[in-house]
Amino acid sequence: MPADPRLRRRLREGAWGWLFTAPMVLVLGLFLVLPIAMALWVSLLHWEGQSNPFDGTADFVGLDNYRRLFTVDGLDRTLFATSLRNTLYYVALTVPLQTVLALTLALAVNQRLLRCRGTLRTVFYFPSVTSSIAVSTVFLFLFQGSGAVNRMLGWAGVKGPNWFADPRGLVWLVLGWFGVDQPAPAAGGPLGLAWSEWFAGPSVAMCTLILMAVWTTSGTFMLIFLAALQDIPRELEEAAALDGAGRRQLLRHVTLPALRPVLFLVLTLGLISTWQVFDQVYVMGKGAPGNTTLTPAYLSYSSGFDNADYGQGAAIAFVLLGLVLLLTAAQRWLLRERDGAPGPRSKGARRATR
Amino acid sequence: MRRADRGTGTERPVLGRFPRPLRLLGYAALLGFALLFLLPFLLQLANSFKTDPDAAAHPMTLLPDGGTLDSYRRLFGLAHGVENVPFLSWLGNSVLVTVLVTAGRVLFDSMAGYALARIAFPGRRLLFGFVLAVMAVPGVVLLIPKFLVLKSFGMFDTYGGMVLPLLVDAAGIFIMRQFFVSVPREIEEAARIDGAGTFRIFWSVVLPMSRPALITLTVLSFQGSWNEFTHFLVSTQSSEHDTLTTGLAHFVSGGLGSGTQYPLKLAAALVSTVPVAVLFFCFQRHFVRGANSGSSKG
Amino acid sequence: MATSRTLAAAAVCTAVALGAVTGCSSSGGFGDSSAKQSSGAGQSLTVLIATSGEAETAAVKAATADWAKRTGNTVTVQIAANINQQLGQAFAGGNPPDLFYVNSDQFANYAKGGSLYAYGEQIPDAADFSEQLRRAFSHDGRLTCLPKDSSTLALAVNTTLWQRAGLTEADYPTTWQQLADDAAKLTKDGVTGLVTAPDYQRLGALFKQAGGWITDPEQTTMTADAPGNRQALEYLQGMMKAGSAKYVAEVDAGWGGEALGKGRAAMTIEGNWLKGAMAKDYPNVPYQVLPLPAGPAGPGTLAFSNCWGIAAKSRHQAAGVDLVKHLTSADQQLEFAKAFGVMPSRTGALASYAAKYPESKAWVDGVAHSQPPVTVPGFNQVLTQFNTDLQSLRTTDPATILAALQRNGEQALKNAR
Repeated sequence: MPADPRLRRRLREGAWGWLFTAPMVLVLGLFLVLPIAMALWVSLLHWEGQSNPFDGTADFVGLDNYRRLFTVDGLDRTLFATSLRNTLYYVALTVPLQTVLALTLALAVNQRLLRCRGTLRTVFYFPSVTSSIAVSTVFLFLFQGSGAVNRMLGWAGVKGPNWFADPRGLVWLVLGWFGVDQPAPAAGGPLGLAWSEWFAGPSVAMCTLILMAVWTTSGTFMLIFLAALQDIPRELEEAAALDGAGRRQLLRHVTLPALRPVLFLVLTLGLISTWQVFDQVYVMGKGAPGNTTLTPAYLSYSSGFDNADYGQGAAIAFVLLGLVLLLTAAQRWLLRERDGAPGPRSKGARRATR
Repeated sequence: MRRADRGTGTERPVLGRFPRPLRLLGYAALLGFALLFLLPFLLQLANSFKTDPDAAAHPMTLLPDGGTLDSYRRLFGLAHGVENVPFLSWLGNSVLVTVLVTAGRVLFDSMAGYALARIAFPGRRLLFGFVLAVMAVPGVVLLIPKFLVLKSFGMFDTYGGMVLPLLVDAAGIFIMRQFFVSVPREIEEAARIDGAGTFRIFWSVVLPMSRPALITLTVLSFQGSWNEFTHFLVSTQSSEHDTLTTGLAHFVSGGLGSGTQYPLKLAAALVSTVPVAVLFFCFQRHFVRGANSGSSKG
Repeated sequence: MATSRTLAAAAVCTAVALGAVTGCSSSGGFGDSSAKQSSGAGQSLTVLIATSGEAETAAVKAATADWAKRTGNTVTVQIAANINQQLGQAFAGGNPPDLFYVNSDQFANYAKGGSLYAYGEQIPDAADFSEQLRRAFSHDGRLTCLPKDSSTLALAVNTTLWQRAGLTEADYPTTWQQLADDAAKLTKDGVTGLVTAPDYQRLGALFKQAGGWITDPEQTTMTADAPGNRQALEYLQGMMKAGSAKYVAEVDAGWGGEALGKGRAAMTIEGNWLKGAMAKDYPNVPYQVLPLPAGPAGPGTLAFSNCWGIAAKSRHQAAGVDLVKHLTSADQQLEFAKAFGVMPSRTGALASYAAKYPESKAWVDGVAHSQPPVTVPGFNQVLTQFNTDLQSLRTTDPATILAALQRNGEQALKNAR
């Protein structure tokens, strides 16, 4: 035993530190790092899920699984491109919609003279805490061909579509009203998907997923905005008001600039989470109709578990992982002045909770 | 809504009230939105008390025409003559898994969070970087990887495989670490001078002070594991391991052959939402804190 | 010293946790050798089925319970919501059910992966099953799993709408030309002449009638991009452009039977499962089942079946084979036919079925000139994509659709080899 008491204490501290973190290291190491390493290996194999992929008999194919996603013309690439197309539209619509809705709700609920602010906040936030599976069930019911949503549209004299069975892209749907039909898919778009498919827009079925995402996530983002709104120094607003600024100028020149970092946070959080949509797809159609609700996450799952092509599924997962890590890196870079870690952890965050 | 830390004067808005017509318009719009957020739940509740044909013919009526408890009878295995849904088994699995996972997360996350915040040990910065990196890994890319590792360990389709991988989560560690960093050191120092060891300090001094953070962590862990879907989807296969989420998902996404049975599905979804809803209304501000930690998976 | 004792205790805990995790790995990891077989009475078997409804569930449960009682074993019947996914996961997980339905489009995947126990040689009277179905469920020349039942497609006509359009039984179509003419006459007042689901499992019958099909009979070469198939799709496209043919979604229906029952379709192409569904959902709608009209190359229809798979990893293979013998016996097949409307897969039982249910004659007769499904590993995805492309048939050149099918199929065939 070392005689120096300071050294002894440091050694003991070190032992305690590793002991306290041992469960974390063990669980995250065994069920996160190790699986990723295993899957990285499997993504280089042609493995049908039966034999042992870790003995010498595995069918090593190098980067073939990745090549089939990007460079080899064929069904795999078409499906992957379709899933990218679908998710691009999903992200492009969901993120702005949920951000704008969350900001609007936050501004409204933040009005100091509003009655029932607490109740309203609860109402807007509640969908965010429920399970995606339960909510998907409800939406399946609401958006049936003769369901509640179409009844409501019917009262307004609109004949609603057969939501979950309608693969038509919104762009071609609207152009169709002006007599422009979707052209036959010609060869030649990126990743082997025709340009007319890339520009088809989200399908009617995908729109229900977008609506659901907006409905379930706006509440969370509203709270983040709310916390930031309550952090704006009152003096700033008062000074502007004294200078004779109107409501609109106050919003434009004081409130919104103060919200900028949080806006970045919400936008990037939205971007990251929308790329991962899976649960809803699993419950609400598994890619149907016409592959228009297929997403990379679901494609990865179904390549493995439905089509027994686990190598391909793992490869898709890694492409998705790369994409999400890229977005996360961008987020942390954008918010870097905030201590490298996302999230407003200020007085406002705690105050908004009362 | 009262805030004690500020004078009542600040309750006054910076600018005056909106002009009356605008104010009414604003209230109407907000009310409309509130209705939009509530209506799905109301319709779910109403339709779960209808018969299949009634729900198909009148999905919009909020008062069922001579309501029926059939759906709930079938859920809880009280119906005769028709196929019951193994709902009680789903519920039992969900409760078991949630309790174990929540207990594990509260203990292990706060231990790791404390070590990362307070104990000076070699590799601490590395481990914290590791936690931040892990937080960036999305769950959905781990579907096939998790299946592979559980299969290799022989834990596929076992309760062990369902619970163990969820026992620690990086986001929870991060929340706890941020909390412990913000706690003043003096009390710990005092305890140390009194001769308490690291574990004693953590267990009898720090943890009792951390009630708010621990409640937040409990609430988030409960919600997270109760609503967990993808992990159970790839870690189990036989129906006796179905939880509320996987059971409901299989039931709902099944073929059209078995009829739509929407009242039954809606009732199952409703009952599975109740525990989280109760928790939400009791501990709302802890959910809010979770949302504001910016780490919720959305 | 207190701290060092806690330290030691914690270290032991960690070691135990590690041991618990790694210790589990001794049981059932990857690549465990083939399962030990049980014998004698008192075995407990699991059967996984995808059911069409409560009638089928009850019938299968009753049939397995009979067998269990006779042999002293126990059988648990599980209902799969998505049987392909559940089986795929079960095979990869190494813990499959003993007995299960196998879809024809998944059969090849499972057989190639070594998941199925080939028990065909243990069935002494296998020749009683139709030649085509036996071929469909053979792998490497060995009959691997027994056809559970059989189904074919026919043309179902809503007779009320038929008479309202001023048509008689003499007008029942027997050729493509007549079908198109009748459909045109029937299309009015919110009724569409011919409504069908947008998938090759219906439209493929037209390929056969025009002398084409997706692959050659040996399933080694793609023949999708051929004149016969093009002619078939062009024929249907012509009717679609004239408005006398539509897909089910366009008339707000989920499948052909619904369109027929709701009076939105005067004719539809469906299989014998239509009978049970019409009796249950639309008992008051009169309809008649006719053979599909002949095309330029003569009559043709599609045959479907599931088979009873036994897991290669099952520990109850002998008992499983015995149970399959019971479930596919002629008597039991007729029992199933009565309960939920499927047709027997044994030729002998099929004859009794035809005598007993004359209204199903068109479906029974279809067996004679039916095309069995494609069973190539990896083809499931190809055909799903084909179905997706067929949805836009009205506006897309058939040659483009078939060229895509040809290309995707060739790749799948190459991978399968």
